Amino acid sequence: MATLIWILVAAVGSAGWGMLALHRGETVNAAWLVLAAVCTYLIGYRFYSRFIAARVVALDDGRITPAHRLANGRDFVPTSRWVLFGHHFAAIAGAGPLVGPVLAAQFGFLPGTIWIVVGVVLAGAVQDFVILAGSVRRDGKSLGQMAKEEVGPFTGILAMIAILAIMVILLAVLALVIVKALAESPWGVFTLLCTIPIALAMGWWMRAVRPVHTLEATAGGIVLTLLALVAGRWVAASPTLAPVFTMSATTISWGLIGYGFLASVLPVWMLLAPRDYLSTFIKIGTIFALACGILLTLPVLKLPAVTPFINGTGPVFAGSLFPFCFITIACGAISGFHALVASGTTPKMLDRESDARVIGYGAMLMESFVAVMAMCAAGILDPGVYFAMNAPLALLGGNATGAVHAVQHWGFVLAPGQMETLARSVGETTLLARTGGAPTLAVGMAQILGGVFGRPMMALWYHFAIMFEALFILTTIDAGTRVGRFMIQELGGHLWKPLGHTSSYPSTVITSALIAAAWGWFLLQGVNDPLGGINSLWPLFGISNQLLSAVALSVGTTLIMSSGRARFAWVTLVPLGWVLAVTSAASWQKVFSADPHLGFLSHAAQTTAAVAAGTIEAARGARLNLNDHVDAALCAFFLAITWAVVLSSARVWLRSVRTPAMQPIPNAEGIA
Amino acid sequence: MSRNSPSAEGGPRARARRIMTALRRIAGMPDYCAYVAHLRDQHPGCQVPTEREYYETYLQGRYNGGFHRCC
Repeated sequence: MATLIWILVAAVGSAGWGMLALHRGETVNAAWLVLAAVCTYLIGYRFYSRFIAARVVALDDGRITPAHRLANGRDFVPTSRWVLFGHHFAAIAGAGPLVGPVLAAQFGFLPGTIWIVVGVVLAGAVQDFVILAGSVRRDGKSLGQMAKEEVGPFTGILAMIAILAIMVILLAVLALVIVKALAESPWGVFTLLCTIPIALAMGWWMRAVRPVHTLEATAGGIVLTLLALVAGRWVAASPTLAPVFTMSATTISWGLIGYGFLASVLPVWMLLAPRDYLSTFIKIGTIFALACGILLTLPVLKLPAVTPFINGTGPVFAGSLFPFCFITIACGAISGFHALVASGTTPKMLDRESDARVIGYGAMLMESFVAVMAMCAAGILDPGVYFAMNAPLALLGGNATGAVHAVQHWGFVLAPGQMETLARSVGETTLLARTGGAPTLAVGMAQILGGVFGRPMMALWYHFAIMFEALFILTTIDAGTRVGRFMIQELGGHLWKPLGHTSSYPSTVITSALIAAAWGWFLLQGVNDPLGGINSLWPLFGISNQLLSAVALSVGTTLIMSSGRARFAWVTLVPLGWVLAVTSAASWQKVFSADPHLGFLSHAAQTTAAVAAGTIEAARGARLNLNDHVDAALCAFFLAITWAVVLSSARVWLRSVRTPAMQPIPNAEGIA
Repeated sequence: MSRNSPSAEGGPRARARRIMTALRRIAGMPDYCAYVAHLRDQHPGCQVPTEREYYETYLQGRYNGGFHRCC
C-alpha cells in the first residue's frame, strides 16, 4: 500500500514537471509548479533524508541531547518537535528566498524553479541537516567553533572573518531592497516608521508594566501595525502629510544606517526583542496567507518558461544562466547562513536526535517552498510589467514612454499607460525600476490576495506585502548590526584588549559605528549606482552566501569523515563541488569578465575611458572606479578565504582516510 | 508555580497554556513559568529570580552574540 502511494506521488510529480517543461508557447497554471515541487519534496524527505538520518549521521534516540543533559530552563530547553520546527523555520526564513527567485525570473520561471527544488533536496536541506546533527552531538557548538575544533584554529579564524564580511554585504543588500521599495512612497515610509514607536512601546510594556507577558504585548503590537498600515493610505492622500513622508533613496539610506547603529547600541529590550517578536508572527502569518492565496486562486503563469536572457543579456542583472541563476537564488535552494542558525539556538532545544530530520531537512524544504511561491508571484505578472519593474531606470529610457519601447525591444509587450494604471491601483506614483524583488513580489501578492478578497483591496495588499518585507528586513538589519558588532569586538579583542570588552560603552559605540559604516558604505554605493545597485550588489551577496555554504559543507564533510563514515562523504562532497564550481565561476566572471556589464574591472576601465572622453565628470568617475575596485577585491577575498577553508579541510579528510584507527576525536563523541 | 508547567492533563485552561507556551517558543520568547519549574525540579533550594530579572538575563543570553535570524 505504502509503495503504491509513493509510486503515485512520483507519477504526479513527474506529470507536474512534464507540464512545466513541455508547455511551450502557451501559458501554464501555477498549480503544476506547486505540484511538481511538493511531490519532489515528499520523495526527497521520505527517501533521501531517511537515508542520511540512518546511515550518514546515524541519528540515535538512545543518546541524550544537550537540551536534556545541559537543561537550564533558558537556552537549553527540550522542545517538542513541531514547536521547534516552527521556531527553526521562523529563524531561517527571511527576505532572501523572496527576493532571489523574483530576480532570477528574468531567465523565465523554469530554470530558477528547477534549481530551487532540486538544489534544496540534494544540497540545501542536506547542509542544514548535517550541521544540525553535528552541532547536537557537540553540545550545540556553533559553526565557527566546530571549524576551529574539527579542522584547526587557523580555519576557525578564517571562517569568522568570512562570516563578518558576508554579514556586511548581506546587510547592505537587504537595506537596498527596502530603499528601492520605499523611495518616493509616503504610504510605505509612514507604515515602516510607525513600527519603531510601536516596538518601543512594546518593549516598555514588556519590561516595566508586565514583564515576560510578551504575547499580549506582541498581539497589541500587531494590531497597531495593521492600523498604521490602514492609516498610511490616508497619509499618502493628504496634501500636507504626504510630502513629509516622501523621501529620496539617499535620505532613507541614511535613516537605515542610523537605525542599525542605534539598535546595536541600545539595550535589547527596548527595540530589538520587541521587533523580533512582531516580525516573527507577521512573517509566519503572511507566508501562510500567501500559500492559501495561491492554492485558492490557482493563477496562470504569464512569464515564459525560459527567456532569451539565459545568454546573459538580461536587463535585471548581468551574467548567463550558468553560473548566475545559481548565485541569484541562494536562499531557498542552499543558504550558508542557515548553517549559523542550525548550529545556534536550534540544537540546544532538540528533544530527541531523530527530531533533527524533520527540523533540519524538513524546515529547509519549507523555506524552498516559500521560494517557489515567490517565483509564482513573479510569474503571474505580465512579462512586460515584470521587466519594467525590475530593469534599471537607465535601461528603461528614464520614463514610462521609454519603458514601453525598451520592453518592446526586449521582445515583450507593455501597453502605453499600463504601468501608470498599475501604480495608481496600488497607491503609488511610479513602479518603474523598483528593482530588488520586494515591489514585484508585492504586486504579485496583491494580485493573488486581491483575487481572493476582491480587487478594491489591491492597494492595501500591496502595502501590506511591502510592510511585511520591510519589517523583517529591518529585523535582520538591527539584529545583524548587533551580531556584527559582537564579532568585531571578539576579533578586535585579539588585536587590542579594550576593544574586546563587550559591555564597555566606548567599545560598543566604536564597533557599532564601524559595522554600520561598513554596510552603509556599500548601501550608498548601491543607491548611487547608475544601474540601480542591485545589479552589482545582489550577485556579491549570492556569491558570499554560497561561499559560506561551501565552508559549512566542508565542516560537514569533516564531521562525517571523522566519525568513520567516509564512504558516505559524497552526501556533502557532491553539493560542495557544485557550490564551489558555481561560486568560483561567478567570482571569476565578476572580477575579470571583459564585458563591462558583468566584470568589475572592465567596468572600471570603461569608466576611465568615459572620463577621458568627457562623458562622465571626473569626481563621479573616481567614485565609480573606487566602487568597482572595492567590489572586485571583496569578490577575490571571498574566493581566496573559501578555498583556504576547503583546502585546509581537505588535508584533515586525507589524514582521517589514511589513519582510520585514529578515530575517536577529542572534545566530541563524533557524529556517528 | 510548578503547577503552571505545561502538562499532559486536559481542560481548556491547560490547553490554552500549552498553545501559549508553543507560541512563545516559536518566537524565541522567554518562558518564566517553565524556568521556575526547572529550578524547582533540578535545583531545589536555589534562589528563584523575579520575573524581571529572568527577562533581562534571558534577553542578554539570546541577543548578545550568536545568530538567531537569517537573511
